[in-house]
Amino acid sequence: MKEFRVLIVDDELDFLETIVKRLKRRQVDATGIDSGIKALELLEKEHFDVVILDVRMPGLDGIETLKEMKKKRPLLEVIMLTGHASVESGVQGMQYGAFDYVMKPADINDLLEKIKAAHERKALHEEKVRETKMI
Amino acid sequence: MPNESRYTIHELYPYAASVLTAGLAIALCLSKEIIWAAVALVLAVTSFLAARRLTREIKKANEQKCHLDQQLIQSQKLAAIGELSSGIAHEINNPLAIIGQETEWMKQIMKGDGLQAPDAPDELRDSLREIVSQVDRCKEITHKLLDFARKKEPLIQGADVNKLIEDMARLVEKEASQKNIKLVRNYQKDLPRVQTDPPLLRQVVLNLLNNAAYAIGKDGDISISTRQSANNSVELVFSDTGSGIPKEHLDKIFDPFFTTKPPGKGTGLGLSISHSIIVKLGGRITVASEVGCGATFTIHLPVEASKGEV
Repeated sequence: MKEFRVLIVDDELDFLETIVKRLKRRQVDATGIDSGIKALELLEKEHFDVVILDVRMPGLDGIETLKEMKKKRPLLEVIMLTGHASVESGVQGMQYGAFDYVMKPADINDLLEKIKAAHERKALHEEKVRETKMI
Repeated sequence: MPNESRYTIHELYPYAASVLTAGLAIALCLSKEIIWAAVALVLAVTSFLAARRLTREIKKANEQKCHLDQQLIQSQKLAAIGELSSGIAHEINNPLAIIGQETEWMKQIMKGDGLQAPDAPDELRDSLREIVSQVDRCKEITHKLLDFARKKEPLIQGADVNKLIEDMARLVEKEASQKNIKLVRNYQKDLPRVQTDPPLLRQVVLNLLNNAAYAIGKDGDISISTRQSANNSVELVFSDTGSGIPKEHLDKIFDPFFTTKPPGKGTGLGLSISHSIIVKLGGRITVASEVGCGATFTIHLPVEASKGEV
């Protein structure tokens, strides 16, 4: 599979560090950041393909961050991360274009599979956009 | 299709008489009964003309019927649009009325030296907060409507439907268990992978599970089952032991803005969005319910991707 970049956004630093480390060990180009605002700033400067986004964060929460991300980068695929599963936020997340949900504590294999599927979707989407531009 | 083939047989019926009399004419001719043969021939010709006239009439009537059918569909569409706009008007009018009241109240507070009153800032802040929340409500409605209207082309990917449903079930399970709602799974193990748009399907599954939990309220079961069905498709069934849906609501349940929830609790777009998603994915969604016996939503999805028309 082609190289792609993953951004993980979570205010729980322990969780963030572990997950970045574990993904890196599996040859995933992963970057961690601890707030929604910072993530949006980083997206302005750097290119990412898939974002893993915690639903519950102080400041800009996951759903708000998701909305902003989708506005700025419509092709970006976002996987929501949730500890205290709230159905309401789940419904909202899917409505605002999240790719999938992962429950904390995330199983790394499960997460990896979802990251791959999300990346595949982004590639499909980009291909489709290219095709329409050609016509 | 069956209609068409029946039509062609119908078309042939009127000619039967003329074919028979023509045959009779030939037979009489051969047996030298010339006068009777001539009579039969005349009969054959007249019945042939009558038959031709008849089939033409039938064709014309059929065309008219098609035309009327189209007109009916068109007027049904118009009625749906009418209902839709009154739905929007209703949904937007409530928040507008509240915003109006709050601004009136703010004006009242600011009259004269009312701003000097000790609780004036708090009152104003309260009113502003209410206005902001009502504007948000309007925004949500318009956003959902746009989402509904936007023709998002599905992106087709392979998906393990059991896993996809299970992920959403787990999302709902915690909140459900607090209300003593049990999730009963019945997944067919060797279900084929389905070519579909996974996030869109997740949205539908989550919506159905959420509705089921809402319909139950407290104490009950949500049963989820998957199975392969005929015509290379899969069947996803979501049943609840909730209050059920009255007969007169069953026809309208997928209509935009149809809701039985109290104002502000639901926009009535969830199921209509789900319906349009499933149609886009080339499938169909149906509902069966009786008051007091819960409700069952069934989704049929093609295993291979096929584009549905909206």
